[in-house]
Amino acid sequence: MKGFVKEFKKNKALFAMLAPAVIFVFIMQYLPMSGLVLAFKNYRYDLGVFGSEWYGFTNFRFLFASGTGWLITRNTILYNLLNLVTSQALAVIIAIFITELNGKYFKKFTQSVIFLPYFISWIIVGVFVYNIFNYETGLMNTILGYFGVDPVNVYSMPGIWPIIICCFNAWKWCGYNSVIYIAAIMGIDSGIYEAASIDGATMFQRVKSITLPSISPTLITMILLQVGRILRGDFEMFYQIVGNNGQLYNATDVIDTYVFRSLLQNANLGMTAAASLYQSVLCFVIIMVVNAIVKHIDADYALF
Amino acid sequence: MRKITRRDFLRGSAAAVAGTMMFPGLASADVDTSEQVEVIMYVVSDRPAGQDVVDENLNQLLLEKLNCTLKINWIGWAEYQNKYPLLFSSGETFDIAYCATWLNFASLAQKGAFLSLDDMWPECAPDNFALQSETALAEATIDGHYYCVPTLLSTYTALGPSYRTDITGEDWDGVMETWEDLEEYCDAVLANNQAIEPIDIYSVGPELMQIYMQSLGYMWVSKSYPWLWFDPTEENPTVKSLYQFDEIKDFLEMTARFNEKGFWPKSALSDTDSMKPQNGKAALRIHNIDTYASFYATYGEDVGQSWAYSNFVADNSHLPFTQDCMVISSTSKNPERALAIINLITTDQEAFDALMYGVEGVTYELNDLGQVRILDADLYAIGALWAARSDELNRDSDGYPEDYTTMKEEIEASIVEGVNSEKFAPFVFDTSSIETELSTCVNVQQQYWWPLELGYTDKDSGLEQYQSMMEIAGIDTVIAEAQSQIDAYIASL
Repeated sequence: MKGFVKEFKKNKALFAMLAPAVIFVFIMQYLPMSGLVLAFKNYRYDLGVFGSEWYGFTNFRFLFASGTGWLITRNTILYNLLNLVTSQALAVIIAIFITELNGKYFKKFTQSVIFLPYFISWIIVGVFVYNIFNYETGLMNTILGYFGVDPVNVYSMPGIWPIIICCFNAWKWCGYNSVIYIAAIMGIDSGIYEAASIDGATMFQRVKSITLPSISPTLITMILLQVGRILRGDFEMFYQIVGNNGQLYNATDVIDTYVFRSLLQNANLGMTAAASLYQSVLCFVIIMVVNAIVKHIDADYALF
Repeated sequence: MRKITRRDFLRGSAAAVAGTMMFPGLASADVDTSEQVEVIMYVVSDRPAGQDVVDENLNQLLLEKLNCTLKINWIGWAEYQNKYPLLFSSGETFDIAYCATWLNFASLAQKGAFLSLDDMWPECAPDNFALQSETALAEATIDGHYYCVPTLLSTYTALGPSYRTDITGEDWDGVMETWEDLEEYCDAVLANNQAIEPIDIYSVGPELMQIYMQSLGYMWVSKSYPWLWFDPTEENPTVKSLYQFDEIKDFLEMTARFNEKGFWPKSALSDTDSMKPQNGKAALRIHNIDTYASFYATYGEDVGQSWAYSNFVADNSHLPFTQDCMVISSTSKNPERALAIINLITTDQEAFDALMYGVEGVTYELNDLGQVRILDADLYAIGALWAARSDELNRDSDGYPEDYTTMKEEIEASIVEGVNSEKFAPFVFDTSSIETELSTCVNVQQQYWWPLELGYTDKDSGLEQYQSMMEIAGIDTVIAEAQSQIDAYIASL
């Protein structure tokens, strides 16, 4: 405490600069956490969050009662892992590709085109997907028909959807993520590349030995940030692409879509809070574990 | 647990009589209007561009009659599912809210979101109270207290196909009374127009099973959970799940055949186009008679389409009057004045017109038949407090078909109070003790039943899978609870 007072007196200006952020985080992030008690309450509007009676773990039961709890948790984690790997890997490749390009205008044009999908909302993407894959009038079946191939009913083939969803996710995010890697690559001292060229290094050798090692701190931070959200399904993406197609749910259902569907007719604040708490606690555990592993390997790369 | 007892009925009627005797024909006789107040009301809809004009006119009238103004707040369609429950949990001060069965009226009332209206309703809204039917009063009662003012507009369980008659060619005989007729119609549509889907199905899911069960005379336990049914003609009905009905196998065989023939798209559940019939992409939609009337008026002769309707339901009854209702928030500062407004707008034609249609000559005009014509739908179409409508004051739209009125009269005439499905109209399924099982069953219904109903999954193995998933989800608990509530309801009659 004494040390803090001393520090405070010494760096008043710095503390003043920090204050708005601390207050903001406290009000917007820490205070609402008290609302998590809702997950353990039988909520009544007239009694309020804290006045309602305690309900134990009853609110959590719906997640696991039908045996789907495990399935949707697994789906959420696997989808996020798959999306993490594909979108980050693609973003790195795109970033390297763009920085290695020479023509200024072509470079800008390529980057813009790759960035564009980020601005398209999932609702519109959902319409794209339907118009590509629907059985009667979809683009895919029209093309297949042109070549005399029998139409395929993609909407009754759950196994194929992880690939479709993963492709659209990568398509939408790789441009956006690549900006961060382009910035990281731009930050590398160009002298190193020049020296490598003089020593006769090929482009692939330069990428492998200079670019990738230099951007790995960025890459690891990006992955750690994503892992922190691993139990959060991108609700909009799944909801808009899959829609109300029950046949696909076992392959496409994530926690968020399941909770939305189950509670749509009878919104229960306690049960939604329970689902949210479940996700948060699991995310917390996972990020602690992953961070500990990173720390063990190289403490400099860990988040905290 | 919701119990409707004879005493509730009697108390309701007695209070109604007392109300009319004490204040004959006098609106809001027992409300102190000496102080001018602003009553705040929430409705669910998007705010029309021309609302300001309507507000100004309405408030002028309210100032004159009740010395108050009404401030209407709008919860848009895009956000109502999140925002509506928050309205009551945020503690915000407001007076009236539109509510409905589909906005979870019963569950919100049980959880303390509304003021009890036991004393205030007969006192502050006597004319409205006197007009309420016994059925409606029973429906407004939760845990022995009145919690809402239900609509005075009768709506029916009647459901059937609204269908185009101008696209079948010569092959069709024009009869639409049975499922065989419907199949023949669809065959004729397909034979004449490859590009038109005979039956409109899109991502909100099919309604074929509901209408099939209703066409056999069965009744749902709750319209929100259409997988629990019973036979209302039985003295002590047994609640059963879909797979326990023998007829469901015939139904699945029929829909499998429909799917095979291409009566709807193979990926209909991902199709978000909700306007297929209106845009000429689908020939038939299964819905209520009002949908037919609006198709007829809006997409009829003007755009070269002809529409007809047939009611497939064997045993008609009233839909709960609480499917449109008005509640007083537990945070209300002016509950009495709020009820006085409700009384006025539901019993006074001038006030009703001002609220629902706006300003005559500016937003609407009336034809010789008293039907209303909207002058500019982009400016102002109709008010969003649907619960204010009544059989007495509500106006048909200009261009509604003639048989709309006659068919509705026929339906009304076929209903006998306290008999068959009408006997169960006031029954409200209290789900508070089975919310866990219910939420998982809702999910199973969508995941396994919808594809089965549309013939996407095999009718035999699909039904077995549906049954086993429903059992895992805890449907037996739900059935047992529904059964005990139905039994208790019968015992209370």
